[in-house]
Amino acid sequence: MSLVAEAFVSQIAAAEPWPENATLYQQLKGEQILLSDNAASLAVQAFLQMCNLPIKVVCRANAEYMSPSGKVPFIHVGNQVVSELGPIVQFVKAKGHSLSDGLDEVQKAEMKAYMELVNNMLLTAELYLQWCDEATVGEITHARYGSPYPWPLNHILAYQKQWEIKRKMKAIGWGKKTLDQVLEDVDQCCQALSQRLGTQPYFFNKQPTELDALVFGHLYTILTTQLTNDELSEKVLFLSEDGKW
Amino acid sequence: MAASLELSCWGGGWGLPSVHSESLVVMAYAKFSGAPLKVNVIDNTWRGSRGDVPILTTEDNIVSQPAKILNFLRKQKYNADYELSAKQGADTLAYIALLEEKLLPAVLHTFWVESDNYFTVTKPWFASQIPFPLSLILPGRMSRGALNRILLTRGQPPLYHLREVEAQIYRDAKECLNLLSNRLGTSQFFFGNTPSTLDAYVFGFLAPLYKVRFPKIQLQEHLKQLSNLCRFCDDILSSYFRISLGAFSCVNRYQQQIDFGEVHSHDSTT
Repeated sequence: MSLVAEAFVSQIAAAEPWPENATLYQQLKGEQILLSDNAASLAVQAFLQMCNLPIKVVCRANAEYMSPSGKVPFIHVGNQVVSELGPIVQFVKAKGHSLSDGLDEVQKAEMKAYMELVNNMLLTAELYLQWCDEATVGEITHARYGSPYPWPLNHILAYQKQWEIKRKMKAIGWGKKTLDQVLEDVDQCCQALSQRLGTQPYFFNKQPTELDALVFGHLYTILTTQLTNDELSEKVLFLSEDGKW
Repeated sequence: MAASLELSCWGGGWGLPSVHSESLVVMAYAKFSGAPLKVNVIDNTWRGSRGDVPILTTEDNIVSQPAKILNFLRKQKYNADYELSAKQGADTLAYIALLEEKLLPAVLHTFWVESDNYFTVTKPWFASQIPFPLSLILPGRMSRGALNRILLTRGQPPLYHLREVEAQIYRDAKECLNLLSNRLGTSQFFFGNTPSTLDAYVFGFLAPLYKVRFPKIQLQEHLKQLSNLCRFCDDILSSYFRISLGAFSCVNRYQQQIDFGEVHSHDSTT
């Protein structure tokens, strides 16, 4: 949304406290939701949990289309709808809850940089695995993505989404990557996260921040989702520290 | 390691060894790590490819894309990061991701999408570097590629309209510049006193933005207010790229071969 609209929304957000009936919308858990969306949703839930804000999770087949930006998850709070972790963090901050206030400027820069790293590498790798790896696409993604819809809509929607994702991959230079190269990137990313975490319980001091929520969302989903190719979870298993969560 | 390393990339102008961000990243890294690189600037002849520049050629390999080229150089023992701790290495990856996600869309927009800038500066410059009739086609293709990338990564489906995205990407870019400035503080380079991969990337992205003269300059204005980042670019230019401006005229009639002989060696080239 435009800058003016955003400033307006922040002001309204600041005026009201967090209501009891806030809801988070995602796709159907059992049959429809995919790895990357599940990771994003879990990250938001973890973040809200860390802020001690109550949230109810509602599953809808058309959650993706209901969302203002086309991405899940999104939260419905009072009479506002906010989607994706970044804007949700801002929104929650406008309401007066923040996990990263205690960080100094350099640490905030680091936190933002690491969040971009996770988005850039882990999320893109998840999308690649789901939509560009033929084995996974055929066996899992197509079937799951279109499951709530009747034939032929399920096929059409799945192909449309696949085409969209492939376009994006090509634009950022991942179109020509092989699966091995993608897994190597994931490896690098996990190593970097592992180095940064070291032996601390959380990434920054003793308090969890949105970075911890984001990393948890992705790692947990990768470890607990059955895919045709188990190499992704094997790479992630090397991050032994995540056992703390 | 004695194999000759040749880099083909876009040429320079406005005081820079190259106007193209990715080419500049590779050149800077080569300087920092002491790799002896022979630079072949793209020119009016038909030799060499112009598509995926920068491209590194050795006797048996052809490597494209900055990340892969840097990896290749590291495997050849030209490593600018050997003094970094593991955590600093991790930070490098994270900051590079930040640059690519937050700063790159706005840089692409300033160079290739903003019509005033594109038609008065970028297109004539790039068109002057390559032979006719390629000069009619390639800049347009690069511009469309840049627009595509911005819309696909930042646009919101199903409409992908540019205007809604513009404000957001410039805001993100300014925030990113502020973050970089905070991180750099008063030190000479991002990690101590010797330059590393991150310095190469930051220099590659910032220097064209800093030096090229554009009509529409909101991001450049913002960058100029962050004096430590400007000082960072100027320092690298004066210490590592001491080349006379005469070697880099905007229209290269002959193939330019610049030997990176004067290199600050970092004992990592053994």
